[in-house]
Amino acid sequence: MNHQEKSERDELRARFTGWLEVTLYRAKLNYVKRLEREKSFVYVDVFPEELWVSENPERNWIQGITEPGAFQFEEERLEKAFHTLSEQRKEILAMLFVEERTPKEIAGQMDCSLQHVYKQRSRALKQLKQMLEKGGEENE
Amino acid sequence: MNKEDFRSILTGAVSGNHEDLEKILELYMPLIEKIIISMEILDEDLKQYLMIHIALQIGKFPM
Repeated sequence: MNHQEKSERDELRARFTGWLEVTLYRAKLNYVKRLEREKSFVYVDVFPEELWVSENPERNWIQGITEPGAFQFEEERLEKAFHTLSEQRKEILAMLFVEERTPKEIAGQMDCSLQHVYKQRSRALKQLKQMLEKGGEENE
Repeated sequence: MNKEDFRSILTGAVSGNHEDLEKILELYMPLIEKIIISMEILDEDLKQYLMIHIALQIGKFPM
């Protein structure tokens, strides 16, 4: 291998490695931020109604979510439903909710109208909701 | 892995080839694990999250 070839290989790898490091670092920050947000809030609508009448609702609720399988089932169903979406809708949802980009940024990147992004987001969420409701009925 | 192999795999992964993407993930697994270990715990969810993130983002790498 001559010097020029080695140099070219190193340049491409170095460039990709650097890009990947930055990308992963940002992703990790997003992940940590999201974890912190999830730890900080407990929404009333995820607090099961029957626990409000128990003696220690907070403790019972925490036990419920820390037991294996409590919410994992919901996540599995959501994951399965997500995979039924078209590639474009998956990409739009990932950019909106994972990368936390604005619809305007997404429209610019995908070279489409802002209206198209809103429409695809709305349809994707509707499709996910329908899939989850359908799955829920099957499991009852 | 020589220059041509790496370029070929990276080009495939960037254009959406799953086999090439898996090779890239395998090649860069030490980097992924290094980032995860820096959080002091081996977080499997974070590992999955980062791998999915690479799969979603790699198409944007400027060759």
